[in-house]
Amino acid sequence: MQVNDMLAVGLNHYLFLSAIIFSIGILTVLLRKNLIVILMGIELMLNAVNLSFIAFSHFSNNANGPVIVFFVMTLAAAEAGVGLALMVTIFKRFKVVDISIFEKLKN
Amino acid sequence: MGSDLVEVLINSVKLVLIFLLMVQLVPILVWVERRGSAFIQNRYGPNRVGPFGLMQLLADAVKFVFKEEFVPGKGHKLIFYAAPVVALIPGALAFAAIPLANTFHLEPFMFLGESWGPYDINFQGYNVGIGIVFILGVSSLGAYALLLAGWGSANKYSLYGALRAVAQMISYELALGLSIVGAILVYNTFDFHSIIAQQAGALSFTISGRELGIPFLPNWGIFYQPLGAFLFLVAAFAETNRLPFDLPEAESELIAGFHTEYGGMKMLMFYLGEYGHMLVASALLVTFYFGGYQLPFVSHVMIEDMLKSFGLGINMANVLTAFLFFTVFMIKCLIFLWIYVWVRWTLPRFRYDQLMDLGWKTMLPWALANTIVTAVVVFLARI
Amino acid sequence: MITGYLFYMLAFLLILFSLGVLMHSSPLFSSLNLVGSMIVLSAMYYLLQVPFIAAVQLIVYAGAVMVLFVMVMMMFDLKHEIKIFSGGFISNAIKCGLAGFFAFTIGATAFMSTEMISGSAKVKTEVLSVKSMAQLLFKDYLIEFEVLGVILLLVAVGAVALSRIKGGTHAS
Repeated sequence: MQVNDMLAVGLNHYLFLSAIIFSIGILTVLLRKNLIVILMGIELMLNAVNLSFIAFSHFSNNANGPVIVFFVMTLAAAEAGVGLALMVTIFKRFKVVDISIFEKLKN
Repeated sequence: MGSDLVEVLINSVKLVLIFLLMVQLVPILVWVERRGSAFIQNRYGPNRVGPFGLMQLLADAVKFVFKEEFVPGKGHKLIFYAAPVVALIPGALAFAAIPLANTFHLEPFMFLGESWGPYDINFQGYNVGIGIVFILGVSSLGAYALLLAGWGSANKYSLYGALRAVAQMISYELALGLSIVGAILVYNTFDFHSIIAQQAGALSFTISGRELGIPFLPNWGIFYQPLGAFLFLVAAFAETNRLPFDLPEAESELIAGFHTEYGGMKMLMFYLGEYGHMLVASALLVTFYFGGYQLPFVSHVMIEDMLKSFGLGINMANVLTAFLFFTVFMIKCLIFLWIYVWVRWTLPRFRYDQLMDLGWKTMLPWALANTIVTAVVVFLARI
Repeated sequence: MITGYLFYMLAFLLILFSLGVLMHSSPLFSSLNLVGSMIVLSAMYYLLQVPFIAAVQLIVYAGAVMVLFVMVMMMFDLKHEIKIFSGGFISNAIKCGLAGFFAFTIGATAFMSTEMISGSAKVKTEVLSVKSMAQLLFKDYLIEFEVLGVILLLVAVGAVALSRIKGGTHAS
């Protein structure tokens, strides 16, 4: 009985997982130095939000969630495209992809 | 999974058998490739070991197994070993999702002293319901094998080959996906079983309420989507990195591209991945445009009835019919695999900028135009 | 029953891969970990009975976006970073604490609220059909869809412009 209760996965399990992934994404953005890894942290956060959208839509029988996830995915792809183009430009200019480049923008 | 023991057993065995089928086709395809190239170039090819050189494959396998294992000095060991495994996964996953024969029905039968209920068995590894989208998703993972191989080898030629290959795969994935959209619009479904069922019988379609038909042609997708089929074929050549699009491993420029540093079984696994990709592409082409496992004008009910009239049991007749359709499917696939070989030894290689131009400036606009025209025609026909 | 086991397995893998993104000293391995987490998420979407979104996740994220990331990473040929985290110890501790507090708050809220756990009558049992999704997409969300198309076009133009800059930041 105890095991069965544990194995009945509900909405709050998914939300909890989504919160954990989101915080890991935030930490990646806040802590890492490499700009591309920071971009990946943003992707991680978007994915966590997607997961909670899908979970909400699954547990309230509502088809709006997947549609919004669809939009988020498209935007994430666009964001990654522009972000990576910027990274390539930065790399060509400064030879590093590091947030320390912002210190060189002072003058 | 299945509801009881026998069904689970059948499904598991089916999965393993389909994987083995894919793997076992590869040596035969290699033999066809070598003999076919010899035939086209007016040579003999491997003809010493066994009848028609068929045993050459066994000799090759022995050679592959006993080759020395090595990792390039500056390479990354984990990535170097992971790449060939990753190369094998997409092809295997995708091939298992394609139906190889009709769903057959088993009446209740006695087994181990118990009666086991009626089953409907799909002749495919698993049925995901969204068919083609799943296959596109899985096969888009194939790029990682090349990237990992190129980077893990710590070799400039490997890396160049991998980057070329991945740029090429991403570019042609667009054309590949868009060329299929037309067919999906015509069939109005993602599901393979439904797509194949719609291609039964003679060519006939309804345009704004009027029934039109050509009785001597089968109702195949190629007659609805000739441009889509051609674009799909070309894009599939590019996706599988075959000539005339084999820039990633252009020998005169890059030695062997991303698998320069690989030898022995690891090399063989890249071969398995490539031929698996070819097999999936041919199977998709057959499923979408050439009637799938169906014999033209003959439905599986007719064959089952004919077999039953010979005095076979109902289960036996159903199973035999499924295997007949499976044979039909494989023959259709092999025809397209032969076309792969044929094209490889006929057409010269493109230059890289020509390749990109072809992908982005020719195939993508044509695929888009095909999609739009199909959408308009389908919309008008359904009014 | 089996869904529960699958959920815990996938959740474990997902957290593992995400931590890999955060912790790995080589950016390349970070991105490979992210690929892993995308694939696990796709499996999780399949578990939540939206197979179409699962496949799109594979095509768009794992198959296109992450391939671009990995490719750029390989082109830069970045080595292992000696110092992967920015900032000092105290600021990092504060950041970690805040993120942990955030996760704790949401997690606690999720566990407190018992109204919408599984077993309620509203849980979707059948697979979400592509048709119903498309009807939403092309009827209720039509304007958003069109705007998204325009954004994609702008992004394509912007990316090409960025990578083709002559002079300016490009001249070095």
